[in-house]
Amino acid sequence: MIQFEQVNKFFGEFQVLKNINLTIRSGEVVVIIGPSGSGKSTLLRCINRLEAVSEGKLSVNDTDLTDPRANINRLRQDIGMVFQHFNLYPHKTALENISLAPRQVRNIPLAEATEQAQQYLTKVGIPEKASAYPAQLSGGQQQRVAIARGLAMKPKIMLFDEPTSALDPEMIGEVLDVMRDLAQEGMTMVVVTHEMGFAREVADRVIFMDEGMILEENSPAEFFQNPKEERTRRFLSRVLKH
Amino acid sequence: MGSFSLLAAYKQEFIDGFLTTLSASLLALVLSLAIGTIIACCRLSQVKPLEWIGTVYVEFFRNTPLVIQVFFFAMGLPSLGWNISEFSAGAIGLSIYTGAFIAEAFRAGIQSVSKGQMEASRSSGMTYFQSMRYIILPQAFKIVIPPLGNQCVNLVKNSSVLAIIAGGDLLYAADAVSSQTFEINMTYIFVALLYLVITLPLSFGVNLLERRLARHS
Repeated sequence: MIQFEQVNKFFGEFQVLKNINLTIRSGEVVVIIGPSGSGKSTLLRCINRLEAVSEGKLSVNDTDLTDPRANINRLRQDIGMVFQHFNLYPHKTALENISLAPRQVRNIPLAEATEQAQQYLTKVGIPEKASAYPAQLSGGQQQRVAIARGLAMKPKIMLFDEPTSALDPEMIGEVLDVMRDLAQEGMTMVVVTHEMGFAREVADRVIFMDEGMILEENSPAEFFQNPKEERTRRFLSRVLKH
Repeated sequence: MGSFSLLAAYKQEFIDGFLTTLSASLLALVLSLAIGTIIACCRLSQVKPLEWIGTVYVEFFRNTPLVIQVFFFAMGLPSLGWNISEFSAGAIGLSIYTGAFIAEAFRAGIQSVSKGQMEASRSSGMTYFQSMRYIILPQAFKIVIPPLGNQCVNLVKNSSVLAIIAGGDLLYAADAVSSQTFEINMTYIFVALLYLVITLPLSFGVNLLERRLARHS
């Protein structure tokens, strides 16, 4: 479903991604962890081509992203993305945030799009916030609306870029709960996060990145109990201690 | 207060001048908004030659005196065999000059919308133009209202440049009346008040719009 083959990416002289080889299958939940600046977010953003790869091959849903003729707008319709800072549209209500893309991109009539948007709001647990503007919602609620916005396009893949990093500790749980439900429904998910509990419990596979490289990948049980690489052990000992 | 009744004799001159100022301002406002939008899009374009045209336009017309630009249209063009009325020359000069400032206001407004907004809307499969129309421009518009209001008020006042090329505007009428009546202070104070009749409602209108749009953010 997602396949990186010897992908390199440069920002100017700086190499952010080094020889990435990664295959993600349909229905898999893959969690990417690693220190800041290790290239996790860049890797994620390559999948819906918010970033273009410099070298190598990347295909997503049978579309070759390195082909300049690839229809990127079409590709993105099937990939939902959730951002660290939510990026909700501040001038639109929660319901409008969710129904906008289905209406404009999928040409779904207003009444139907609105009804579906309301269902997704119910799914993320805040049906009563339909007419609220983002500024009137808590961080956790905003992020849940953002997840509903992604789901409303009925995507095949959901990407999460540190979805809980900007949240108050109290609100992290409610967002992770929604993501956990989604994983159980069989959604293909790629999640960049620092939430080790979530990785251990929900992931099918954990990937550890450092300095632009994938250093280690394994099932969560193996990964957390028997990390193979010295660098992984050091990282885990720091993040798991507290 | 005998002086004001003296001015009453020139009622028609003032009415004509007032209407000329008003119509030149309105025409220039519409044109400069159009120019500003196009030039702002050029400046933000990924296409280098377009960006270049936008930058040259803004830096040239923003940094040269309005009077010289209007002189060019009123006297320079006719000397090249292209005749154009004083009113048109004034309105076109005003549009081109103000357009440069409006382009800068638009550009700054669009750029101040956070990058994540474009990323979120493009991620959902919307095209660049859909994202601009539904997400970026409505937010930029709010940000641009106060500087745009300034430009409108400046535009009305700058329309007095028509007086220099005998454009028949309010200031032109004032010059004519004061030189006939020698009531210099009265005439110019009266005309300044007439300018306020246009600019004050404009200022209030812009403030009202700003407050109304700010309600949700």
